[in-house]
Amino acid sequence: MTAERAWRITATAFCFAVFGLGGLGFLLLGPLLTLIPGTARRHAFTRGLMRRGMGAFVLLMRGCGVISLSVHDAHRLQRRGQFILANHPSLLDVVLLIALTPHADCVVKAALWRNPFLRWPVAAAGFLRNDDGPGVVDAAIRSVRNGNNLIVFPEGTRSMPGAGLRFLRGAGNIAVRGELAVTPVLIVSSEPMLPKHRPWYRVPRRRPHFTVRVLDDLSPTALVPEPIPAGLGARRYTERLQQRFTEEIARHEPATR
Amino acid sequence: MDKQELLARIQQVLAEQFEIDPARVTPAARLYDDLDIDSIDAVDLVVQLQALVGRRLSPDAFKAVRTVGDVIDALDHLMRS
Repeated sequence: MTAERAWRITATAFCFAVFGLGGLGFLLLGPLLTLIPGTARRHAFTRGLMRRGMGAFVLLMRGCGVISLSVHDAHRLQRRGQFILANHPSLLDVVLLIALTPHADCVVKAALWRNPFLRWPVAAAGFLRNDDGPGVVDAAIRSVRNGNNLIVFPEGTRSMPGAGLRFLRGAGNIAVRGELAVTPVLIVSSEPMLPKHRPWYRVPRRRPHFTVRVLDDLSPTALVPEPIPAGLGARRYTERLQQRFTEEIARHEPATR
Repeated sequence: MDKQELLARIQQVLAEQFEIDPARVTPAARLYDDLDIDSIDAVDLVVQLQALVGRRLSPDAFKAVRTVGDVIDALDHLMRS
């Protein structure tokens, strides 16, 4: 093992501890946050806090050499009412996206509401739970129309390393039924970093370089121009979106595929 | 409308709404596992079935529905009641 890698294992442990402390901070702050009058203000305040926290955490990870990062066209995330779809290679994706996106809303695994640390921030931020099929589609559309920037990972969970992308239909249903424009974001890591089924301390051989690339918006009719029932539209949307992501990743990051 | 006719109409609805091959829509076919109809699709499906039988369907009537045969039985029961 190289000294650099040993350092990264230590630094990764340190970053996890800091992240946990951040969660603990929210645990103590949680009851205070619930005192903020008005649901919208409470959510906005919590999201602002979370964004700055994630931003600081990204700086920390870069600063101590756990990852390096380049971001292309981040200005495209600085609007209101965007539906942001990203692929999901790593546990860090949501950290990176929240750090880059003001007014971020997220569809989050329902299990996080049972996590002793994360339940407070996700509840105080008013994030959407993924365990209510039709309800979450309506809530997601409403969120975007209300001016939030909704972040969804169409894969529903982290990618299987080495397997191709496999999108579920939830994101397609939201886009089709809400007739929403989509801002696609490609996330590529030069090394598998915190992928599915790997403990955190098995850090990659070399320092992973993350590339976040915000693409041009897809108009509501860009992928499925034909007038068809919504259920069918969501199926075609999902297939074509997955195809588009696969092509764009191959085009921009040929070395990693 | 007898059960055979109900099956034919369900096959038609599923073909129009989701492009599911009618040959796969048998009474034993499971909506979620075999036909890939999720809870979001089910909302659309209930709307279509309401038009088919000309009655409002309560979501409860479809709670226990797993297969195409269950859908046929539920509709049949509703039309008789």
